[in-house]
Parts: sequence; structure tokens; C-alpha cells
Amino acid sequence: MAGLTEDPILGTNDTIKEKKKQEEFDKNKSLSLDKVEGSGQTEKDMAPVTGSSIHRSGSRPQLDLSKAAIQGTFEERDPTILLPNQSDHLSHLALDIGGSLIKLVYFSRHEDQSVDDKRKKTLKDRLGITNGTRRSYPVLGGRLHFVKFETIKINECLDFIYSKQLHRGGMDARIWNPDAPTNENAVIKATGGGAYKFADLFKERLGVGLDKEDEMNCLVAGANFLLKAIRHEAFTHMEGQKEFVQIDHNDLYPYLLVNVGSGVSMIKVDGDGKFQRVSGTNVGGGTYWGLGRLLTKCKSFDELLELSQRGDNRTIDMLVGDIYGGMDYSKIGLSASTIASSFGKTISENKELGDYRPEDISLSLLRMISYNIGQISYLNALRFGLKRIFFGGFFIRGHAYTMDTISFAVQFWSKGEAQAMFLRHEGFLGALGAFMSYEKHGLDDLMVHHLVERFPMGAPYTGGKIHGPPLGDLNEKISWMEKFVRKGTEITAPVPMDPPGTTGLGGFEVPSSKGGTLRSDASALNIGVLHLVPTLEVFPLLVDPKTYEPNTIDLSDHSELEYWFTVLSGHLPDLVDKAVASEGGTDDAKRRGDAFARAFSAHLSRLMEEPAAYGKLGLANLLELREECLREFQFVDAYRSIKQRENEASLAVLPDLLIELDSLSEETRMLSLIEGVLAANIFDWGSHACVDLYHKGTIIEIYRMSRDKMQRPWRVDDFDVFQKRMFGSGDKKPRPHKRALLFVDNSGADVVLGMLPLARELLRRGTEVVLVANSLPALNDVTAMELPEIVAEAAKHCDILRRAAEAGGLLVDAMVSNLDGSKGKSSSVPLMVVENGCGSPCIDLRQVSSELAAAAKEADLIILEGMGRALHTNFNARFKCDALKLAMVKNQRLAEKLIKGNIYDCVCRYEPAS
Amino acid sequence: MEESEAQISHLALDIGGSLIKLVYFSRNSDNSSSKNSVPVSNGNEGRPVLEGKLHFAKFETAKIHDCIDFIQSKQLCLTGCQHHGSSADEKCIIKATGGGAYKFTDLFKEKLGICLGKEDEMDCLVAGANFLLKSVHDEAFTYMDGQKEFAQIDHDDLYPYLLVNIGSGVSMIKVDGPGKFERVSGTNVGGGTFWGLGRLLTKCKSFDELLELSQQGNNRVIDMLVGDIYGGTDYKKIGLTSTTIASSFGKAISDNKELEDYKPEDISRSLLRMISNNIGQISYLNALRFGLKRIFFAGFFIRGHAYTMDTIAVAVHFWSKGEAKAMFLRHEGFLGALGAFMSYEKHGFDNLMVHQLLQQSPTDPSDGGDKTHGPANSELNDNPSINCSVYLS
Repeated sequence: MAGLTEDPILGTNDTIKEKKKQEEFDKNKSLSLDKVEGSGQTEKDMAPVTGSSIHRSGSRPQLDLSKAAIQGTFEERDPTILLPNQSDHLSHLALDIGGSLIKLVYFSRHEDQSVDDKRKKTLKDRLGITNGTRRSYPVLGGRLHFVKFETIKINECLDFIYSKQLHRGGMDARIWNPDAPTNENAVIKATGGGAYKFADLFKERLGVGLDKEDEMNCLVAGANFLLKAIRHEAFTHMEGQKEFVQIDHNDLYPYLLVNVGSGVSMIKVDGDGKFQRVSGTNVGGGTYWGLGRLLTKCKSFDELLELSQRGDNRTIDMLVGDIYGGMDYSKIGLSASTIASSFGKTISENKELGDYRPEDISLSLLRMISYNIGQISYLNALRFGLKRIFFGGFFIRGHAYTMDTISFAVQFWSKGEAQAMFLRHEGFLGALGAFMSYEKHGLDDLMVHHLVERFPMGAPYTGGKIHGPPLGDLNEKISWMEKFVRKGTEITAPVPMDPPGTTGLGGFEVPSSKGGTLRSDASALNIGVLHLVPTLEVFPLLVDPKTYEPNTIDLSDHSELEYWFTVLSGHLPDLVDKAVASEGGTDDAKRRGDAFARAFSAHLSRLMEEPAAYGKLGLANLLELREECLREFQFVDAYRSIKQRENEASLAVLPDLLIELDSLSEETRMLSLIEGVLAANIFDWGSHACVDLYHKGTIIEIYRMSRDKMQRPWRVDDFDVFQKRMFGSGDKKPRPHKRALLFVDNSGADVVLGMLPLARELLRRGTEVVLVANSLPALNDVTAMELPEIVAEAAKHCDILRRAAEAGGLLVDAMVSNLDGSKGKSSSVPLMVVENGCGSPCIDLRQVSSELAAAAKEADLIILEGMGRALHTNFNARFKCDALKLAMVKNQRLAEKLIKGNIYDCVCRYEPAS
Repeated sequence: MEESEAQISHLALDIGGSLIKLVYFSRNSDNSSSKNSVPVSNGNEGRPVLEGKLHFAKFETAKIHDCIDFIQSKQLCLTGCQHHGSSADEKCIIKATGGGAYKFTDLFKEKLGICLGKEDEMDCLVAGANFLLKSVHDEAFTYMDGQKEFAQIDHDDLYPYLLVNIGSGVSMIKVDGPGKFERVSGTNVGGGTFWGLGRLLTKCKSFDELLELSQQGNNRVIDMLVGDIYGGTDYKKIGLTSTTIASSFGKAISDNKELEDYKPEDISRSLLRMISNNIGQISYLNALRFGLKRIFFAGFFIRGHAYTMDTIAVAVHFWSKGEAKAMFLRHEGFLGALGAFMSYEKHGFDNLMVHQLLQQSPTDPSDGGDKTHGPANSELNDNPSINCSVYLS
């Protein structure tokens, strides 16, 4: 509570910061414009600034900078959702007041992120993007926070709401205008029985009415939203193994929703708003906690749950073996360890309550109730022919053993035909549904590709807690990190994983995950921060977006995870050095660097322990997590200076390279260009092997050396097929591609000496070229912000590039003339730059920027370059157009695994349109 | 012939996790010298018949030695297995079912010198139930709002039915005919759970004491009712009245009370309702699944306890929206033992048949509750014995 009473003060700071930030923001905005108009800015000014036009990032660095008071709070472990169209006058709070817990969903706002600069506008004109095909409303950022309180401590909840002024529209909206008349008729949407019971209390204490929403309506609305809008929301949990389930949104209904709160409701859901409560049971979470409290004297539900992890129910339950003298009753399929009668052993012995271990009691109780719920649920699913059963509610709260028991029950009784599924946001269905019942917030329109899930600093530690004190700013965040890590090392140190099935008791009777996680937060809700980015879209050229899986390497293979854990840990000190240097090496930067290292290590440890902690984990997610973690500690671009240096050095030798290339025949030149791309791809700060190389020579030396070593055939070598597509065979010349999307990788030689010359060649052939680059920095990858400058510099020495860049609006002078009305006058096909919508070394093509999606519509060639985008992800992706995947493998393990080759082997994979 | 007739006193056992059930036959002493030709209408004229009683007794499994003493004192072990042509030295075989038939084999051998002839538990339950439902008049009854009503069961329209045997655990068996059945479900929340949890929570010394307590209890003190959540109002939309239990023991959460602050009566009542309701619900769902219109509840958990039966009946009524009815059996606890007894015939040990009941038990059904008495006196005097005749072929 101490933290809560401080809230208004934090809020004050928050808003002052907010104002400052707004000023800063305006300044930045004008800086951005300056840059565009003046074009003579140094590269330093090009570093992405907060509030810039990077849409996807818009929500992220901004959060860190402006909303630290909220960003750092513990409750951020729970999902946070940005809202597209939240208008001011809406109430910002919805409640689900249940018998044991109050669940609260509240909204915090962001500024409008849609800052369009002129370059972007020109690009949009080029790409033919009209507002008609886009969302017409401005992108208002906002997030939903999820907090819970015990119902018996409702006063804490009221204090919390009051301190944040949530009942008056939230601090960010109204509190700073205290003269505004309080709306006498203010209402808050609420569901759950307590919405009736406590209506008077809310009126009296907060002066607001509770607008009661039907509980079942809310549960269903919440579940439908989650299942449709959030990828990896549902998962199965068997024998300690979590597996995420991809649900076809068109094939979601009907399903059985089992909400395990104090009691249990079973709801058959047939569609949006179409459902029926078909059953339920009075043996639920309240029974577990109520009986558990009487029997064990535990002080909290979580304590009771935790006890169960160390329990042995065989001392309490009567097993089939106890009755049959250790034998199975195999005729009817009961093994000796099947529970014949829960608590049946406490009958016959001369022991009293005090003689039993509370751990054992808790476990027996948990099994009795979970198993019973699983059984009744299955019987109801069977009755209505429902193939899917989703379990939600606070009883489950991500507790492995509970989920295992329910799963076993469902599997056992259905003879393997039905599977229990769980929801990551299980406890908040009702509250979320109540929130959805406000009109006009735009949540219903959300699609899965609009949501980006982030796991902030606290993620490895917190979860399952009712709530914690909010952290004020970055400084508090760092202190917390320092303090917590010191205090919590024994908790968070990687714990060797027990292989499943080592508890020695097989069968459904004793699920093996018990004791797998002896952690204080074993009951953590494994959910992160959900950011809504309405500008993200599914890449339209994927052949089958439904089956598309970005990750080539599945980290659910534990040895694989271990390997990457080692690689990333090993790389960490160097990265911290770079990051600290990028911020001028100040004491503050060092402190932030340390905190970053700790936070990221904690993430890694957590994931080693529980690979599915943050949802389905692929290498791309792991790499992106690192970048996010850097950003969280305000390292906007750790490789900034390295990138600059390498760009300059490469640009200096580019003219000579172009002359050399131009001396070749067209067909020889194509091979040289591809060789060049592959050779230049050696410059990769993400690869340890390559970083070692850099200390041994200049960029151009390494580039030449790398090129000289190019020996065809490459390990994967489809060049001849590609060549044939480009030049045809015999006299028949194939039509050149209309538009090529070049997904570029690293800064420096990679983009300047590899990809730019290739782009130039395509332009020369009459193919439009779109350079696709990161929205946010990741390692030394070139960003969409940096590219125009690089192209402009290159264009100084090359007519082809200059004319194409002019046509593409990349050169400011030309753009001005274009805007003056000389459109179409350009003699060249355009060279354009679009951001890809992400800030990771890899790319998930299910979530790309709308610019990229628009650019892709007319593209008939895709070139993916570099390990991150062509190998780690998308190696197996199939496209509707021709696709060329180019990369040098700079990792021995990956080389062996993927192409059965060696480090520095090359991949040139060409796949014609499918 | 006269000799062997005098000694017939067959015994069968059902040794469960909590209780041992015994069934044995005794000849009517006044009939022992009379002629054995009672006329019956089923075509068995001419075959020798014995008139006597089937007796029912039970012991706690934990006190198995009491049971052994009892068998010894009645000399049941000496006569139970007698059959024609066997020599006196041959091992005695007593039919037994339940898990304890395996577990205590050695004990019976050692103490009484008898072998337990193991009969499958489900076989026995079903055989016992079929026998009772077909042969005993007024065996089955419904129970609603304290009203017991005997059900007339058409013997030709008995199958299929769901037999729910509530012992320590619960077995649910779909019965399609004599010897034709399948265990379709069950639950581990049964009589053992009631007694085990109840013992931990109330310090009661016996199952019956615990049951008795529940009669005076008020579960509203402990259970979270719909009204508690909705501030006294119903949640009508989904058909829940304010007195519906939303969460058993759900109120034990929010109070600052410890175990000692609750009345054992209330705890017992909540526990009984929780378990009865749960069994009723799962049974109904299984009956529904297989389209069974009749559900018979049996087993020692019920033991004629009005409130238990009422709760189960209400659960079945509630979940089936009045379409299904729970039925109970007067000899609910002895299905397994009875079935084991019947199995003598099947195995042809004795050419003995419990063929037909000539007379209904004189015991008034209304006092059929089988209270357990002090530990020393485990025999159930008030369990209705069945007068019957036994044919010898």
C-alpha cells in the first residue's frame, strides 16, 4: 500500500515529464522536418528519436521515456494493450468483482503517434496508399493494464482507483484539470457478483455508479477477443510440457469455456455473443482455498498452491493399489496409483489433522478439485460434441500441476480424444469483457497482427502477485533491478531442468510436472505487455499466412536453447561495451548498461528454466527480446558509431566497385553482384566469428578476401536457375521484374557494397526497387531512417542511383521538385525505402508495416538477405512471387543444422513464384 | 442329505477400502426339520428347497480382526464352502470381492484357514443389483424433499440402467443385462472423501457420527452461495437462485475464522452437500451420455441417509431439468457382497441357488438406516435381512 499512496506524487512527476516530453517531442518533430528539408544534417541527427514516424516503435521507446511510472510497475507483467480509438470522454476502467478476487482493467493513454513527414507522404503517393485502404482514424496509443486485488481487501482496490483517478477518466485525462466538473452520472462497467454487492460502496467512496454487465457475456467476450486477437493465447499442458496451439480463427466455434473462479461455470460458445451456460460445479477455486485454509492454515491462495508443489498425495489419498494390495485393477483400466478415493486414507489411520503434512493435504486437495473439474468439463464437451475445451479463471493461474491434472483428466476420460487448453490471460476474461462492453473503443476490430507482445524488465521476476508498487522512472527501474537481482539471485539462477517423468509415478494419476518449478513465482501468469500497432499487417505475398512459421530454429529443443543461451550470454559483455560507448560512456550509461545486462540475463535464465514462459519461443523472439531489453534501458542504438564508420568507409570505395562491375558483361555481372552480396554479408556484428575477423583488417580488405573465397558451387546454389529467370535461355529474353523488394541486413559493406550494387543492377533493368529495412535499430542492421542518407551519398557518384532515388523521392531536392508538380517526369524507375515495421535482426512476416505491405502488392521479386531474415527466419517461407534468399552462414552450428555445411558457407536459394 | 442341509450357511464377503460387507445365509430353525417342498410357481418343483434368511453385516476395514472374530464365532468359515463330494481336508473357499479380497488373502488364510475366491468387483456389484431389482419387492425408491417413494420397476424393462456405487470411491456402471455391463466412469470424490476430509475437519470418531452431525448443520455458514456473490439476489439469467451453492467451502476463504471457529455440524453439512451434489452431477452426465433413463445409487456412502439422498436427487433433478430421477436401493451397501454370494451358483460349487424370495423382509423400510454402532458391535442388526428359499438341485 505504501506504493499506492505515493501514486499521486508519481503521477505529478509523470505529468510534468509528460509535458517536458511533449516539448521534446515537438522539438524532435521539427528536427525530423529540418532533416528532411535541409538534408545536410549529420548522421547523428538521424538517430531515431522518440516520437518519430516509426510506427511500430512508436509505442515502445515512447513508453520507456514518457510513461516510466507505469511502464515499470509490477502489474505490467499482465498484458497491456494499446487502443486505437480511445476517445477522451470514455471511462477508463472496468471491473470484475468476483467472490475471491477483484480484477481490474484500466486504460492509460498515449499521444497520437501518427507523425507523417514529407518523405513518407511522398512514398505513400508513390505506393498508391490512400487512406481509403487504411484505418481512417488517427492512431491513438493506449494500453490496458491488468491488476487484481483480493475481494476482502476491496478498500485497497478503491484506494488504488482513487489514487489513479481511474474513476474520473484516469490521471492522464482529467486530474490535471481539477476544475472540470465531475460527472454526476459517471459509471464504470463492472461484472461479477460484486458489481451488485458493492455498488453502494463505489457510489459512496468514489461517487461513481457501477454499470453491471452480465458475467457470462463478459467472460465470453473476453475469451473470444483473446482467442482471435492474440497469437499463442491458447496452449496445452501435458506432463509439464506447454505447447501453444494455433487456432484457426474461422474455425474457433463452437467451444466449451470453463471458467474456474470460486465456483466453476461451463459455457458453450457458438459465436460472438452467442453462448449458453450449460453446466458448472460448486467445487472450484473457492473450495480449494476454503478447504485448504481450514486444513493447512495457509495465509494465501498462492501459499497453498506453492505448498502443493512439495506434496505427496499418496499419504492422504486412497489409491487403487491401497485397496488392491498394490495391484492394478487392470480389467477396468485402473492402475495401482489411480486415486480411488481422495482423502480416503485419512479415514483408517489413527492420525489427526496435525499429523499430516500441509504439503500433502494441499496436493490431494488440488488434485481432487482439478481432476473433478476436468472430468465434468469433458462430459459436457462430449454432450454437445465440442472438440475444444478452454480453461480459464484464477484458480488455474498458470500453475503447472493444476493444468496437468486437468489435462490428464480430460485425456483420461476422453481416451485421448479431447484436449484441455488453457489461456495465458486466463484470469482476466471477465474484466476484459466488461471493458469491451464500452462502445467505440475499437477493440473488436483488433486483429492478431496488430498486437505486439513485449516482456518488460520485470517479466522474469514478477507475476501471480496481486500487485506491486509502481516504479517512478528509469532510475527507480535500474535501482529495482540492482536490488532485486542482488536479493533474488538464488531464485532466478538457472535451475537445471528435470526431464519430464522423473517423479517415478506414471500414468495420469501423478502428472510429472509437479516440482518442476520450485520458484516463488511458479504460479506466474506468463503474459507480457501487449502493444497494439494498428499499422501492422500480414505480408501479402506469403503463400499461406496461416501455416507460416517465421522461425527456422525451434528453441523448444532444449539443447538448441542451451546453445543460443551460451552464444547470447557470451556476446553480452561486448554488447554492453558497445551500448555504453554509444551513449558516450558516461557513468549513467554504465549503470544502465549493467542494469540491461542483468535484466537480459534474467530473461535468459527464466527462459532456460521455462522455455515457454513468454509464449512460443523461437530464435527470432530471443534476438528481439535482447533489442527490446536494450531499448528498455534507453539504449536507442548501441551500434550507432560503428554503423556510421562502416558506412563511410564503404561508401568511399563504392565508386571503384561500380566501375569494376560496369566493365563486366551483363551476365557475368549478375554473378559478381550475387557474389558481392554474399561476400559483404560477412560484416555482421551479430556473429562472434566475424567480430574477431574485424580486428584483423580493414573493411575493404576483408570484403575482398571474402569475395576471393567465393567458390561455386555454394553450399546451396540455385544461381543458375535465377540467372535463367533473369536472362532467359537462347534468344528469348524474359520480361524483367516489375518491382523487387530487397530486405537488407547490416550497415556498412553489407548494404553499401553488396545490396546497393544489386539494387542498381535491377534498376538498370527497369525493375523498381524497394529497399526494406528495419524500423528500429537492431545490432548493426541498417535502418529505414538511415538508408536515404546512404543512398543519397551513393547517388553522388552514380547516375542510375541518383535518378532512381529522385524518382523514389529519396533525394530531398528532387522531392521538392516532384511536389512542385513535375511528377512522372523522371526518366527512371524509382528506388524507394520502406521500413519493415520491426526492430529485430529477424523478421516475422505476419507483422510488417503497412508501407511494406502496400509496396509488396505490386512486387514480383523478393530478395531476403542475411542470416536473420533469410536463415533464422523465413528460410522455409513460401512466397507468391519469385524469391531469392541470400546469406553467408556465420555460425558453425547453424551451418551444420540447416545446410549440412560449415561456417562461411553460402546460401543462394531461389524459389520461383508458387 | 439331511446332514448337509443343516449345515448350509454360505458366506460371501466384499472387502472395500473402508468397509467389509458380509452376506450369509441361515436356515430357518423352525424349518430345519420340516419338509423342503414349498410349492413355487416357477417350475422348480421337485427340487429340494431350504428356507432361511440372508443376513447382512458390515465391519470397518481398519477393524478387520473384528470381522474375522465374527466369522469365527459364527463358524461361517467352516460351512461356507461345503459342497458335495469334497473331503473335509480340502481348502475352504469363501467368495470375496473388493480390493481387500486381494489384499487380505493371506490374513484370511492364516487366521481362518480359508481361501478367498476372488470375484470381480464390478461383476458382483451388477449381479447383486440385478438380483435385488428383480427379486426383491420394493427394493428401489426415489427420494425427494424428504419423501421416500417406492418405484415399481417392470422387470422386463429394467435394462439398460446406470448403477452408481458409492464406496470409498465411486464407480459408474452401465448395465445392459445380466452379466452385461461396462464401467463407464467414476469419481475419486466419494464416501472415503467425505469421511476422510470430515475426520480431519471435525474430529468425528466415525462415519455415522459425521453423518449425524450433518443433520444439524447449516452449510450457508461455509459455502459461498450465489446470493453471497450477488448481494442476496439471484442470477436468474442462468437459472441460479440465491441459495445455489456457487462454491463449496467458498466462505471459509474470506472470514478471519480458523477451523475451530466453525461448527463441526456446518462443516459436515457442507462436505456432504459438496460430495453428494458432485456425484449426482457426474452420474447424470453419464446417464445422459448413454441415454440411460434410470440411475440407481448404491454403496455405503448413502446408507439410507435422508439428506444425502435428497442432495443427490436434487442434483440429478437440477442438472437433468427434471427429466431424470435418482433411485436408491434398500440394500445399497451390499451389492458387491450379494453378487459374490450369487457367484457360488455360477461356479457350481454347491448347486445352490438363491432362487426366489418367498417373503419380503418384515423390517419396516422406514427405519432401514443402518447406523454403525460401537466398534465392538459391528453387526448390522437393523439391515433388512431377506427371507428366502434356496433350492438344491
